Amino acid sequence: MATRTVEADPRSERSQEPHPATTPAPQPNPLREGLRLERMAEPCTMVICGATGDLTERKLGPALYNTLLGGFLPPEFTVVGFARRDLSDDDFRQHLLDGINKYSRNRPAKPAIWESFARGVEYHRGDFDDPVAFVELAKRLDRIDRDRGTAGNRLFYLAVPPILYPEIVNHLDRAGLAASGEHRGTGAKRGWTRVIVEKPFGYDLESARALNHEIAAVFDERQVYRIDHYLGKETVQNLAVFRFGNGLFEPIWNRRYIDSVQITVAETVGVEGRGEFYDQTGALRDIIQNHGLQLMAMFAMEPPVEFGADDLRDEKLKVLRAVKAMAPEDVAANTVRGQYVSGWVEGKRVPSYRDEPEVAPDSETETYAALKLAIESWRWAGVPFYIRSGKALPSRVTEIAVQFRRAPLALFARAGVPQIDPNVLAIRVQPDEGILLRFGAKVPGQGLQIRNVNMDFRYGSSFAVDSPDAYETLLLDAMVGDASLFTRSDEVERAWSILDPILKAWASGQGGALHFYGAGSWGPPAADELLGRDDRAWRAP
Amino acid sequence: MTNEGGGRTAVEEQAVHRRLMRFGEHESLATPMWEERNTSVETIATYLTSLWDSGASSEDGEPQVREKGLPHARASVLNLIIVVVDDDAAGRVVHTLMGLGVRHPSRAIVIVPQPGHGDEPMDARISTHCHDVSNGNGERVCYEEVVLTVRGEAAGHLSGIVAPLLIHDLPTHVWWPGDPPFHDSTFEQVIEMGDRVLFDSADFGNLHVGLRRVATLRRRSGLGDLSWERLSWWQELTAQFFDAPRFRRYLPNLSRLQIRYATAPSSSSDHVDDAEDVAPGVKSPMAQAVLYAGWIATRLGWRRHKTIDALNDGAFRLRLEGRHEMVDLDLRPEVTDAARPGELLSVRLRSLGETGAAEFIIDRDGDDAMVATNADGMTALLRRVPMDAPREAELLSSQLTMDVVDPVYEDALRAAGILLGCAREPAA
Repeated sequence: MATRTVEADPRSERSQEPHPATTPAPQPNPLREGLRLERMAEPCTMVICGATGDLTERKLGPALYNTLLGGFLPPEFTVVGFARRDLSDDDFRQHLLDGINKYSRNRPAKPAIWESFARGVEYHRGDFDDPVAFVELAKRLDRIDRDRGTAGNRLFYLAVPPILYPEIVNHLDRAGLAASGEHRGTGAKRGWTRVIVEKPFGYDLESARALNHEIAAVFDERQVYRIDHYLGKETVQNLAVFRFGNGLFEPIWNRRYIDSVQITVAETVGVEGRGEFYDQTGALRDIIQNHGLQLMAMFAMEPPVEFGADDLRDEKLKVLRAVKAMAPEDVAANTVRGQYVSGWVEGKRVPSYRDEPEVAPDSETETYAALKLAIESWRWAGVPFYIRSGKALPSRVTEIAVQFRRAPLALFARAGVPQIDPNVLAIRVQPDEGILLRFGAKVPGQGLQIRNVNMDFRYGSSFAVDSPDAYETLLLDAMVGDASLFTRSDEVERAWSILDPILKAWASGQGGALHFYGAGSWGPPAADELLGRDDRAWRAP
Repeated sequence: MTNEGGGRTAVEEQAVHRRLMRFGEHESLATPMWEERNTSVETIATYLTSLWDSGASSEDGEPQVREKGLPHARASVLNLIIVVVDDDAAGRVVHTLMGLGVRHPSRAIVIVPQPGHGDEPMDARISTHCHDVSNGNGERVCYEEVVLTVRGEAAGHLSGIVAPLLIHDLPTHVWWPGDPPFHDSTFEQVIEMGDRVLFDSADFGNLHVGLRRVATLRRRSGLGDLSWERLSWWQELTAQFFDAPRFRRYLPNLSRLQIRYATAPSSSSDHVDDAEDVAPGVKSPMAQAVLYAGWIATRLGWRRHKTIDALNDGAFRLRLEGRHEMVDLDLRPEVTDAARPGELLSVRLRSLGETGAAEFIIDRDGDDAMVATNADGMTALLRRVPMDAPREAELLSSQLTMDVVDPVYEDALRAAGILLGCAREPAA
């Protein structure tokens, strides 16, 4: 050690580091102050279970490469692909590279950069039901910690069907790979362990509880990151900024000013080769249980005390808890389920759902669902939330539309102007992310004529930059330990408990008939009647 | 720019522009809309207002820039005032703005002050810029730019001319390319209008004087520097070395900082390698290197101690007092045509630890860089990272996203002035 020429600084890390087990939290890096990239991930190894699948190729590989280009990945960062197929390290690297060159927003990969990154990419072949594979994985990860300085930090990404989650987490546990920080091994702090799981998280309330139970037996809830990629989208994050960063909107964000809220998650595509999966799932489970209810919760929540992960999730949970449980006899009046029959979408002929490959010819699975929910809170009592989602609809759009109450007095009626349309605020999540406000304005001229005009903010116009893909945001969040945009087990269970009575009523036939709609239409007429009974209509997004 | 068509009128240009747009042949266009010699601020302001009015029509009966209908959305997130020395520089600014507009649609006011030229006080040209919005719907987003040539006595009263042309309630940035006339009253007037003022310290005629003048500028605005922006990736890579706690402990014990920067082979200060550079040539190629040194010194609390080798041909060596060690700062140029003059070529940080010396290295290699850590007696950790040289528009764009005040830059700026002052003293 060099001779010190000045007196020892009591804050020096070196003087405080006699033994790893008693090492205090390090001082922050002074060179980080003021730099743009404050969210740099810590050195870690990311283990992708199911690494040869579609998700890795389409999403995870490109997300990692773009995160690398952005400078967010530390030099020690290492990827281990874990799957059953017999691949070499080089085969797996090629698999990742092919995905980057095909799907990345920055493509093709720059050869020199890729080669440097690829040195930290390995493949671990093994069966998820083989305990030895996990023991070998543990050895490999220890070796990587030593060789590459990943400091015992591990991120497990379960890119596999949910049915495999319990088996994998149990084997991770038995191989000593599940414990985090001071819990691991000798009690010495050896880094963190986190696990990312993909939706669908459960099939109904009971299965979600069972899955949570299995995972909780191995991982602490703070280690579990349940991904809902909608929450990684810029507009969804902007929803919190829009509401709580501006003084203008929060005062009118309540039952006094808002008449109703419509949430639409519309897809133009059919089941796209996922017939077997979709026929077991349906629109309610596939979209509304996660994306739909999460959007509603982000929209309706109270301001959190801080913008921390649990503050945010506590507030979302409060919204979900306040949703009025639907009694079986109310399901038919407050929900609509539909299934598309052949039609035309975007100029292409779409076959009937029941004619899709791997779909039962007498399938009762809904490809369209619409709900009317009530949030029983002081803020939202009496404001209906209409949520709809469907496949083979005319356009791909996700938006939240707020319809405000009409002006209290028809002041211009005497001048021959009929009732003025209510104001609408539409928050567009995808595509064309942005916010639109509709209001009435006088048509120039001598008479009094009022017409609706739109004030239209588009991300593309004001910030015409490539937003990071949701997976880039979420992967980095998991690496830095920010769980704000991931769903917690209690949120997941609460969402299922809202939908369980509906699923049961539909299954028993008590929840109303399955309505058919032509592909390329905005759903069955029954969905229009759902709003029509309240003297309202769906917005044409 | 506007009149490249060899005397074509603005209306003719506009017609060509429409035809091109119809066939989707251009991704980004500057379209001359209006120009007038010997005009007034009121006339310009009126024209700017009418430009986005859907009721207004040009001479051929078609609406001007349409906001709805055919997709032309107007957008503006800031005002940008740019002061340049002549019409050529104004042309280069307009070119740069085309690269900038996608990210920062702004009302840009480019001023060419010509005090003592002629009786007609002011000429104005207004153009619109349109960019494709990447949503696949063929929509375009447009914004406008005004080029003002201000002559005679009016050139000494720019604030009164510019203020009525700004869009209210948007932040105003002032960009002063080239070597700013720090002692000119016009300079002070324009600076006063900005929430943020941007320079490029590499353009300062005298770097030491320029750094000190900027650091002590009386202003209400924040400061930005394109040379500082060029350093941002170097800073990021440097900080990354010490993000890992096991390497962070080396930071207080740094004992040497070596910085190499590029100079042009001809040693000519007029070396031009970027045709889009608004102020061509790099008058002070040492700017980035000395700002980098100032940044490290302020973040780590280094203090001046003595001069080892005084400034000579762009090189100097100082001894600084670190928290635990004395630090050698060694800064020198390297003649190369592989990088723009002034760009950093390599940074080496050396530290002492229990297991011996540690070294942290960033070496530019074309469009990439090799980043290496030799520490803890381990095999060198090597990786290759991108090291693209950003265009001026990109640098400007990044600077425009910054908060009004950048205290880290302002600290580094002051320190850079002190280090350079120290280097100019005779060796101890």
